[in-house]
Amino acid sequence: MRILLAEDEQQLSRAVAAVLSHMGYEIDVAENGLRAVELSGEKTYDCMVFDIMMPVMDGIEALRQIRQSGDVTPVIMLTAKSEVSDRVTGLDAGADDYLTKPFAIAELAARIRSLIRRNDSYTPKVISCGNVSLDTSELELKAENSVRLSEKEMQLMELLILNSGKELTAGQLFEKIWKDDESTPEGVVWMYICYLRSKLEAVAANVTIIGGREGPFSLKEREAL
Amino acid sequence: MAGIYGEYAETLQKVMDQLIGELSDYNNEVKEKTGDGIYEHLLGRIKSEESMREKCGRRGIPQTSESALRVMTDSIGLRVITRFIDDIYQIVTFLRKLPGVTIVQEKDYIRHAKPNGYRSYHVILNREVPYPDIDGRQPGHYYIEVQLRTIAMDSWASLEHQLKYKKDIGNEELIVKELKRCADELAGCDLSMQTIRNMIREEES
Repeated sequence: MRILLAEDEQQLSRAVAAVLSHMGYEIDVAENGLRAVELSGEKTYDCMVFDIMMPVMDGIEALRQIRQSGDVTPVIMLTAKSEVSDRVTGLDAGADDYLTKPFAIAELAARIRSLIRRNDSYTPKVISCGNVSLDTSELELKAENSVRLSEKEMQLMELLILNSGKELTAGQLFEKIWKDDESTPEGVVWMYICYLRSKLEAVAANVTIIGGREGPFSLKEREAL
Repeated sequence: MAGIYGEYAETLQKVMDQLIGELSDYNNEVKEKTGDGIYEHLLGRIKSEESMREKCGRRGIPQTSESALRVMTDSIGLRVITRFIDDIYQIVTFLRKLPGVTIVQEKDYIRHAKPNGYRSYHVILNREVPYPDIDGRQPGHYYIEVQLRTIAMDSWASLEHQLKYKKDIGNEELIVKELKRCADELAGCDLSMQTIRNMIREEES
């Protein structure tokens, strides 16, 4: 599980990062909102924690930009005790939860866990990239033609679309989709990438999956290749 | 009364048998190389007197040999059923290279499925053969229509065909919708199987 923490107070961010990484999370730290927006465009996170008051770009603006790009990763805002209006603006800008400073790191960890658990239900039913749309409730992949996907193919396609343009490693994909199948070898990722490639081609999609057998993989528009 | 194909009825049979023979030889050749035939089965038919006359009538053209052999292109029809999608394209490549064959029309309803979900590859050949034709030429020219599809596409088409000729089916809208869903599921399955076969063959080589 990977978490993005945007916090300009070094002492606080170091302490939070240390505790969370001790709990087994991978943590990236951004020192301001702009850096957070950049990182979220490069990598996939399971949860993001943003301070509101930061130099260069504040947490609210960073969150707004991230949501505008179509990213639905859960976000927790850190607000100062008196700033009621900040909480409201934060939630309205697309935050999923907030925590008032000072806070107990154990509570932050609990809220992160709770948001990651709920994340599945946040994704809209029909998502798209280029001329391709994926109806996640009908398992339908559609561009000029349409085909049906299996459940796992659909989950993989969904991840690729939600993170289009970003690189996803075979390990990350395996971890997200096949984590409960202990008997499945990791080679399954490559096989499913191949399935989706032929299916994208069969529906005459203008996007394709980049990446060799070992990954990393990313979904890109054909013109952009 | 002379049949609609006149004196060319026997030639049609010969032209069809020749192509079936060539495809069958090709099938055996591929089987020797890979262990698997290029097609699952192959059907050929000369369009019956009755349906040819009926079709001419429907098009509003005279029921003559000229119409049957020059206007209509499906007096000879072949249907080739394959196990895998790539086999279809490989057979089309084979047909293209056959001596005396010119492709008159090609419709790829696999890449561009019809809105109802129909998938198949249609190709019309004009073949030069050492027999006279209706224009008095020798070697003569005959049309052959070939439809190629996978087993899955074929069973879907036969189910859809039943719907077309049944009148007054209750909840037809639902059936049409479900047929479309099935077509897309089968297409998904065809593609998965093709991918698995490619992987197995890559491992081997």
